[in-house]
Amino acid sequence: MHGSPVSQADPRRPDKIVRYKAPAPLSQASGAAPGEDLTPDYMNILGMIFSMCGLMMRLKWCAWVALYCSCISFANSKVNDDTKQILSSFMLSISSVVMSYLQNPTPMSLPWATT
Amino acid sequence: MRVYSVGSRLCKTYNERATNRSWSHLQNFLVTYSSRNATAVDEFAEFEDFEEEFETGAAAAASEEDDGDSIEDVEVEVEDEEEDEEPALEDLELGHDEEEFEGWDAKEPVVGNNKEVPRLTITKVPMHLRTNWDSYFLEMLMLAGLAVYFLNFVVGRSKNQRLANAWFSAHKTLLEENFSLVGDDGSKDVDPNAGLIKESENVFTLWCSGRSCCEGMLVELKLLKRQDLVAVISQIVRPVTDQIQIRVNLTEMDSFVFCVAAKKTAQRLVKDMADISVFCPERRSLEKMGVSQVFSLMNEIGEVSAALIDRRMIDALNKYSDLIDCIHVSDQFTGQKQPQEETGTATKLPEPAKVLICTFNLPTKQRTPQEAADAARPLMQLVFYLLERVKRFRLGKEAKAKAINNRQKAQEAFLKSTHAARAEAAAARREEKRRQEKERIMAEDDPEKQRRWEEKENKRQMKKKGPRMKQLKVKAI
Repeated sequence: MHGSPVSQADPRRPDKIVRYKAPAPLSQASGAAPGEDLTPDYMNILGMIFSMCGLMMRLKWCAWVALYCSCISFANSKVNDDTKQILSSFMLSISSVVMSYLQNPTPMSLPWATT
Repeated sequence: MRVYSVGSRLCKTYNERATNRSWSHLQNFLVTYSSRNATAVDEFAEFEDFEEEFETGAAAAASEEDDGDSIEDVEVEVEDEEEDEEPALEDLELGHDEEEFEGWDAKEPVVGNNKEVPRLTITKVPMHLRTNWDSYFLEMLMLAGLAVYFLNFVVGRSKNQRLANAWFSAHKTLLEENFSLVGDDGSKDVDPNAGLIKESENVFTLWCSGRSCCEGMLVELKLLKRQDLVAVISQIVRPVTDQIQIRVNLTEMDSFVFCVAAKKTAQRLVKDMADISVFCPERRSLEKMGVSQVFSLMNEIGEVSAALIDRRMIDALNKYSDLIDCIHVSDQFTGQKQPQEETGTATKLPEPAKVLICTFNLPTKQRTPQEAADAARPLMQLVFYLLERVKRFRLGKEAKAKAINNRQKAQEAFLKSTHAARAEAAAARREEKRRQEKERIMAEDDPEKQRRWEEKENKRQMKKKGPRMKQLKVKAI
């Protein structure tokens, strides 16, 4: 299908320019517009929960999972998302990993391993 | 107990040696181990002979005969008068004094007394991190996983960027021919070089404006999440394609809702989209018109499909049947259906918009980004063609009346469903107003005014509670 527009005249109308309005502030509260990807938010919360578990119950695998969750959240985040949130989640998970190893330098054992 | 009796006899026999102390030792020992059962016969078979020898050994103090109570482990070898004949004496592990006990061999307490109870205190020495790298294999695995993830992030991100740039460069001329503003980031000053805007690592948008018959066009490149390893893996399980969604906000359009979509997408749209579910929820096939059977039609007004699906459209639909996902034209577009709780509390329908939405699949599999972008160009031209047709199309009189009727019905249905919510909202407003009035009156110091207001209030209450004489008219907004 080749093409030129149906009318041969120039369809451009410089006087009819409408500026771009980012849809985000117009949608419903807290970004709950349907169709929006909530993966970064879920992963953020999950990461925080896991890092708290890892820190308090000294579970190394929790700390590692938290680190992974923060990474996934970072990869899926939008450009205009708050970077502070993601950075803080990263820092929390890294600190939980480091603290778990400082307190107990033995190698990690998986939660279902018996030894 | 035989041992006891033997023991006592022995003591009597050797009474010059037996001391009180040793006798009490023996007594203690025997009492301690008296709970064990053993067959007296087998255990003490060896004593049969000795007993005959010790005939003289009279009445034993051993009338304390526990039935067969004896020590299993104890081998009491009764010594003969002549020690030489006793073979086992040397083998006996005796207590401190060898001659103290004759024929008493209790391994356990002796052992207990001989050896020291090993008190092993294992001091807790924390493992040194650097001594034994091999045992940290899981940690190495985790770190390797993280490295792979980040590597994939970088690679995926750059691939998405290349795709988007290829698409933009392939379409730039076409867009510039049609729009006077191509690329706008919404900031205060118009930046002529804005181009594609990166919303996230896999979503790019482009806003074009300045054309006849449309307010503007938003192109969204919804690429795969190549930057997220988890998404890449789930892509293997459930394949998804890169998509372009083009939304044109129309300025002039007649009243109809029309949609042609691939079958699966059509199912989803009927469920999700508010306008399609209200105005044209039935799906029909397009085979009669000569269109490939992968598409379904959802149409409100019959003549629209005849007008819009002309020769060129049919050719395009057939030629690009794998690339075209959905074409949706609507003057009542309100986005996706809100979840049920919200419709209950919403008091007003959201503002409908006149749109033309086209969703295409980008053919990125086994093609370079440039090729994929070039393959998508005819689709953009299709969009412009459709745009012109929609702008020009006008419904017939009957069709127009039908459309208006449909919209009115939809409006009424919505009002009915939210009637309860609206009544509640109105009542809440009235209550609030009255409360404010009351506060105002109370704040005033004049008792006269207060009294008058209270009288008015009472009258109002009586009227409400009393029998309703009047017919109340409910005015629908």
